[in-house]
Amino acid sequence: MDDLLADFVAETREMLQAIEGEIVAWEADPADRERLDAIFRFVHTVKGNCGFFDFPRLEKLSHAAESALSEVRAGRRRASSALVTAVLAVIDRITDMIDAIDAGEGLPEGGDDILIAALEPSRDEPDSETIQAGEQAGPRAARTGNTRSIRLPVELLDRVMSGVSDMVLARNELARRLRDHGADPALQGPFERLSTILDEVREGATRMRMQRLEHLFGALPRMVRDLSAELGKQVMIDLEGGDVELDREMIESVRDPLTHILRNAVDHGIEPPAQRLAAGKREIGIITVSARRTGNRIIVAVSDDGRGIALDKLADKAVAAGVASAADVAAMTGEEKLDLIFAPGLSTADTVSQVSGRGVGMDVVRANVEKFGGSVSVSSKESRGTIVFLHLPLTLSIVEGLTVKVGAHTLGLPRSYIVEIARSVSRSVEADRIGDGIFLTFRGERVPCLDLAEVLGLEQEVDLERATFVFLRLVSGDLFALAVDRVLDNEDFVLKPLPPALEAIGLYGGTALLDDGKPILKIDVPGLAEAYGLASHTRIRTAVQERSAEQPAAPAEHAVVFTSFAGRKRAIRMAPIRHIHTLPVSAIEPTEGGMLATVDGTILPLLGTEGRTLANDTITALRLGDGEVELLYAVAGIVDSIELPGPVVPLEGDEMLEGTALIDGVIVGVIDAHGLFARHGRAALPAQRPTCRLPSSDPWVASFLEPLIRSAGYDVLGDGDGRAADITVTLDAVEESNAATAVVRLRSRAEGTEHGPGSIYRYDRDGLLSALARARSGARR
Amino acid sequence: MSSLLLLTRIGGRPAAFRAEDISSIVELTEIAPVPRAPNFIAGLAGLRSRALTVIDSRKALALPGSPEAPDVRAPVVEVGSHAYALLVDRVDDVVAAVGEPTLPPATLGPAWARVARGMIETAAGPAVLVDVAALIAGPHRAAA
Repeated sequence: MDDLLADFVAETREMLQAIEGEIVAWEADPADRERLDAIFRFVHTVKGNCGFFDFPRLEKLSHAAESALSEVRAGRRRASSALVTAVLAVIDRITDMIDAIDAGEGLPEGGDDILIAALEPSRDEPDSETIQAGEQAGPRAARTGNTRSIRLPVELLDRVMSGVSDMVLARNELARRLRDHGADPALQGPFERLSTILDEVREGATRMRMQRLEHLFGALPRMVRDLSAELGKQVMIDLEGGDVELDREMIESVRDPLTHILRNAVDHGIEPPAQRLAAGKREIGIITVSARRTGNRIIVAVSDDGRGIALDKLADKAVAAGVASAADVAAMTGEEKLDLIFAPGLSTADTVSQVSGRGVGMDVVRANVEKFGGSVSVSSKESRGTIVFLHLPLTLSIVEGLTVKVGAHTLGLPRSYIVEIARSVSRSVEADRIGDGIFLTFRGERVPCLDLAEVLGLEQEVDLERATFVFLRLVSGDLFALAVDRVLDNEDFVLKPLPPALEAIGLYGGTALLDDGKPILKIDVPGLAEAYGLASHTRIRTAVQERSAEQPAAPAEHAVVFTSFAGRKRAIRMAPIRHIHTLPVSAIEPTEGGMLATVDGTILPLLGTEGRTLANDTITALRLGDGEVELLYAVAGIVDSIELPGPVVPLEGDEMLEGTALIDGVIVGVIDAHGLFARHGRAALPAQRPTCRLPSSDPWVASFLEPLIRSAGYDVLGDGDGRAADITVTLDAVEESNAATAVVRLRSRAEGTEHGPGSIYRYDRDGLLSALARARSGARR
Repeated sequence: MSSLLLLTRIGGRPAAFRAEDISSIVELTEIAPVPRAPNFIAGLAGLRSRALTVIDSRKALALPGSPEAPDVRAPVVEVGSHAYALLVDRVDDVVAAVGEPTLPPATLGPAWARVARGMIETAAGPAVLVDVAALIAGPHRAAA
């Protein structure tokens, strides 16, 4: 019986969630038969179920709603807003009762009769008036069909998840051993397959924890409806992207911030109908909530077509509230002024209303969103509207981060706080110990710095001469730096909560296992800043100073961002990229020394496959050239071409990488092109062999000179060859040959310069080769 | 009713854990120390996809010294959905309890009394039956 009851509660709750949006949509369009049917079905099901469980009050309520709705269905009654309100009230009461049943409490007393009476047609609502039914509404988009589903305890899902994570770790370990032992191809194939399947399983397991945003969206229309009714406004809500999936826990965490933003939009954004008409807008304001997924982030945008944010008014308020000085504000750009909306204690509303109230402002929204690794941004046009963007990570439990080394310890820093990384040796940072503290001078700004070794109570301080500084910006806007010995790598941390004894230290925000199964601790950045008094509670000053302190920008360097075969995001400078090829796999040949590929009739080394088997028929490869030598770099996909923001920070531990750069808030490894050519360029053949014309009539030339010239990397053209040569070699030539090409003149005798001062003795091998090289570079110029 | 016990030695003394408290026994190869952690926390160790908090049982009992050759095997317990590995001098055996636990005698000393559920007779002699939650709370809790 208990099980049945629990199922009843769960099922009813699920239906309640689904139904909320339907009701408001139905009110907006009473002729929408489909929605009416959905609501009718709900009350009907509830009525049937609670008869079975003997909840007479619940039954009576749902029965009353059912009869009222069936009148509407039969066309005998109109879905007036009074009726919708009454049905909503009944559904609210049902929700309360379900909660009470679930908690095992008595049902809330009384008031049912009033609700039931409200369902009766009132006098000013002519119940004879029939509605033109369905036809006018036109066909609706097909509803999402009922997918077959089962109910599972979250605990079981978690167990499956952790099992899959275990498998991934075991796989990584196995992959490492296979590599170390020089894998047997007979093992490699099945292993690759296993690995691919495991990745799929992992993705599936991750998706099991996902929920469609619909679950969150469901409650929004109702909320907006109630709010706008209360405020005497007319607002329509438009929801897009309900099929976007998000981690269950994330959906719960985003509920409050989203609700708050919506309240703001209705309360402060959308104008009263009269004002809207006067401004030449439609009476009904429109709020759009849309969600979309980009990469591993979800962006939820809440846009309204209301009055927008008046920047000057906002700035004045900021000054009045003491958040910023008048001088600060005067120096701000529009964007910075808009950012003031996140300052604590600021509200754009003139009057404090009951709805958005006072106290909880956008600063709290931002703080809450950033707490789970998201971010908030606003864009607004005065009198046109406002858009608030919520950028959310896909899951709560995976945090992008950076591993750093201090002494013998490896620790994790969450990426969301990191704004920049600089090394002491780069001389862009000056570090001074002042008093007990450390201060950095970086880009003309003085930044407080904590020695992470000191913070952790290690014996050995970080050597400031050789340290790497990680600059962190807090939600409050305060900037500080952490001095660490080394920056190791970016990793995705799968965070697990800390046991109480470790949490009590106040330094750590969770544990995570690295790819190799080693546990590390994630530093709790806000907690750390708080403990050392680095977090102030205003955020404006730094933003302004930052701008004025900015150095004149160096000419931007461009780079291509791509996904490597190992699935990592990488960047490579634009300069060496000659071409992007799509190569058939048949053009690729694995050899002892690495992969080779044929492109446009030349054979080039193919790098970047990282030992992976090529699964597709074609691969994308970047053709890189240093002017002399070319090679191919395989990529799994091109992401974008961008301007490299800021300097590339050197990174140790990965010889393929020149360093890391912060691109769109993500730390991206930058491929060391110089290193690539240094290691592999030797094996590569010059892109196009230069040509050299030789006097073929001379037998010495044919038997001695020609092989030498060929081995030096030239194609030899005979006298009769009509093609233009890069270089012409003459032997004991009397007359001046074609002056358009570079000429290297040889003489047969060791001494004597009768054939001009520039001639070279024919057995002066070094002289000949260097003359060729000189001539060639001259020819190319 | 005879229940199973995991018999260990902590600080040279017999200490028994109820078998149902122990989720597994692992071999600890590498323990990453945690800076600024209380001293009875030896560090973290990775067990498959979980991080174990490693508790030095001697220090958790505020006992002096350290075992000459500590056992690499450590019982894993779960308290409040966190997993802990317990460093003990030695993991001896799984034995059957003889009879019910009795109240700990007053002569156990304050450190042991804090973590004792009682005394238990086993085939291998009497042992202190350890309350896992009290053990991993460390010696500071007792002082507070």
